Amino acid sequence: MCSDPGQNMIKSAIKEKNLTGVVVAACSPRMHEPTFRRACAEAGLNPFLCEMANLREQCSWVHPRTDATTEKAIDIVSMLVAKVKRNAPLFPIKVPVTRTALVIGGGIAGIQSALDIANAGRQVVLVEREPSIGGHMSQLSETFPTLDCSQCILTPRMVEVAQHPNITLHTYAEVESLSGFIGNFTARIRKKARSIDERSCTGCGECVTACPIKKIPSEFNAGLGLRSAIYVPFPQAVPNKPVIDRGRCTYFQKGKCRFCETKCPAKAIRFDQQDEILDIAVGAVVVSTGFTVVETSFFPEYGYGLYKDVITGLQFERLLSASGPTLGEVRRPSDGKTPKNVVFLACAGSRDPAKGIEYCSKICCMYTAKHAMLYRHKVPDGDATVFYMDIRAAGKGYDEFVRRAIEDDEVRYIRGRVSRVFERQGKLVVKGADTLLGGQQVEIEADLVVLASAAVANPGAEELAQRLHVSYDGHSFFSEAHPKLRPVETNSAGIFLAGACQAPKDIPESVGQASAAASKVVGLFSCEELTREPVIAVVNRTAPPAYSTCAGCFMCRSACPFNAIESEEIKGRDGQILKTLARVNPGLCQGCGTCVAFCRSKAIDLQGFTHEQMYAQVMDLFA
Amino acid sequence: MSALQVQAGELLASGKAEVVIGYGEGTRGRVRPVFVRTRADVSLLVFDGRCTANLTVYLAKPEVGRMGKAAIVATPGAVRSLIQLIAEHQVDPGEVVVLAADDDAVTLLTDPAALEAYAAAHPVTIPPEAKAVTESLARMSAQERRAFWDAELSRCFKCYACRSACALCYCTRCITDMNQPQWVCVAPHALGVMEWHLNRAMHMAGRCVQCGSCTSACPAGIPIGLLAMEASRSVEKEFGAQAGLRCDAPPALSSFAADDRESFIL
Repeated sequence: MCSDPGQNMIKSAIKEKNLTGVVVAACSPRMHEPTFRRACAEAGLNPFLCEMANLREQCSWVHPRTDATTEKAIDIVSMLVAKVKRNAPLFPIKVPVTRTALVIGGGIAGIQSALDIANAGRQVVLVEREPSIGGHMSQLSETFPTLDCSQCILTPRMVEVAQHPNITLHTYAEVESLSGFIGNFTARIRKKARSIDERSCTGCGECVTACPIKKIPSEFNAGLGLRSAIYVPFPQAVPNKPVIDRGRCTYFQKGKCRFCETKCPAKAIRFDQQDEILDIAVGAVVVSTGFTVVETSFFPEYGYGLYKDVITGLQFERLLSASGPTLGEVRRPSDGKTPKNVVFLACAGSRDPAKGIEYCSKICCMYTAKHAMLYRHKVPDGDATVFYMDIRAAGKGYDEFVRRAIEDDEVRYIRGRVSRVFERQGKLVVKGADTLLGGQQVEIEADLVVLASAAVANPGAEELAQRLHVSYDGHSFFSEAHPKLRPVETNSAGIFLAGACQAPKDIPESVGQASAAASKVVGLFSCEELTREPVIAVVNRTAPPAYSTCAGCFMCRSACPFNAIESEEIKGRDGQILKTLARVNPGLCQGCGTCVAFCRSKAIDLQGFTHEQMYAQVMDLFA
Repeated sequence: MSALQVQAGELLASGKAEVVIGYGEGTRGRVRPVFVRTRADVSLLVFDGRCTANLTVYLAKPEVGRMGKAAIVATPGAVRSLIQLIAEHQVDPGEVVVLAADDDAVTLLTDPAALEAYAAAHPVTIPPEAKAVTESLARMSAQERRAFWDAELSRCFKCYACRSACALCYCTRCITDMNQPQWVCVAPHALGVMEWHLNRAMHMAGRCVQCGSCTSACPAGIPIGLLAMEASRSVEKEFGAQAGLRCDAPPALSSFAADDRESFIL
């Protein structure tokens, strides 16, 4: 039937017999409904008057060839005939599109998405919570598996973002709310007061030198270095403009100081600056807010937070980095000595159902191999030991990289979990089991212990997800619409995901997903209007004075996963509000029907699947 | 003049209310609802142990809305249903003041916070006879319970007094009145009656404030409130949500909380 002759049969039948409805008894609607609906449309019949009776998946494929199967096939066709009699012509919905994208989060994923969209000629607004874009990638020393310097490949991209004519960059800013729907969002952005006039500041750094408060743990150096109260997070920051940490600044805390102001040659310090609220119209959103690593209190058994020389992988990155607190020399935090024995613990927190993180953080195997390798390069007479569960090195050049660490750089890999890290006579002792040697207990003295701590969702990820109305999983990572076939979309139309906010990811994967999200956005922006299937929920309309049987209880509003229910006021001639009722926004509604099920007075109907149609279809079965 | 009459008079005189909805003396020793719109008529108002009907049932009606700002004489159960009506956007809290009455005092409640405090201080009281039935039902097997309800519902002739008495049955068009399609059998035979009452119980799940109005309204003496009460109690057990306590409570069944137990999902 789906071939041209079959379609032509339907077309001529419509014309010759003046048909007002068509039922095609064949395969699933997903497979060929568009084909047959198009054929009907070509013959002049509204395509939504054509229905598919699914005889393939729901009958012939799943039952043996018997009379009962044939009877079932007849029943299925008869049900659809009962339904199609009650079908009404429907027309596609057109929604205008604002062709500006909002990218939330300026790590490598956000940067890549913003650049791809901007290079396709569309406007981008990039919002970053921190004073500089760059994210975690800017903190890394070298990157696996090629060992190229992270900042060397990242900073040109950061500068490109800042200089791109199509990108508006808001750093030190957060998205307060997102309203609207695909093609027509309004984002409210709070630009936090930087206390600096960004236009007049030249980034000379005099203020940073002048600031008397210098002993604040630096976020960029993962707490291993210090910064001042007025600071630029790192030398390559974009924008390279300082920000005053008002919680730490003497002037904001005690009302006196203003040293930076006296030293500023550009007179750019603004102590009275207020937060700025911007409302921006955007058509699509890319969420790329990244991840963080678990907090210190997570590992009492490993002594993190108790012993200075137990550090996280991110801190070790800073020790290895040429721009780090030790200028790239490996010196341990407690006494600044070069550690001769470094023990790396992979899966610190990850794959541990007992601690509530049953997933694999994915990046640790690779960066632990990198850490051990770089350490051996920098301290050739030092010993590196890695405790691991399995080595997960799936990726181009990844396994070769780990083999190189083991074979060329002589890193000692011990398969087993560590039960405890403790101090004995001033030395750290790592106690674990070697599961390849039958669970034999091993104790290793270490000068420095590096935990490949689990990657977790950012604090506040859930709150952001709720503000954006995207769903998230049990670990607060944002959920994609389909794990295989729609990996960058969310369940909210027009909102896409990129990078580690969806699940732990390495750089190539984050960049790949970011470009994928950008291509989705560019695709969405390729038309001035969106055309949508009219299979959406509709609140009924009746004659005055009630105007609708909707009672306005708004149970549907909290049931709607797409934020599609609005309220509408029905006013009398004198302008007085007669009734407040629910209205379905056709741009947002995805036609899931959840609201329909919740409506007590059946005031909502799903077009194409109305109560009347469904009821007739079911009752036909019993007729 | 009783304290209630004095307070009602003051509300009308000061313009804080244009109508006082309360109980008045009826026929044959019973009370009936009265709508007092002038100060001279406050003497019609009575309040005693006979006043159990839930008067908030009138608040969602458009013709009552047109009378202007209302003061309502409310039992603790009625206060809970008013809170639930506010939560379900049926009553604007700015348009109603409450004369909360129980056995010994009349309290004027003018804002949502006061309503919530009053409801919290006056928890649900289940009459002893209802409690006895609930307890015996709990001991029954599913077949015995079915037999119990079949026997009770055999007396129902679908007068819909339960629906009229219920403050939360405010739908513009009740599902049982629909005929395109005909969801519920209109005939008062066993199936039609069961369909109606199960439907009502499901619609009340998570919303019933256990005021007891439907049971006392039933002319056949069916303890019909127990169905809605039980449905609401399972919602409370699953989601910790009790209706009629918070004016800004989200609908228990259509909202989601991260710690919902979801024990019903297999």
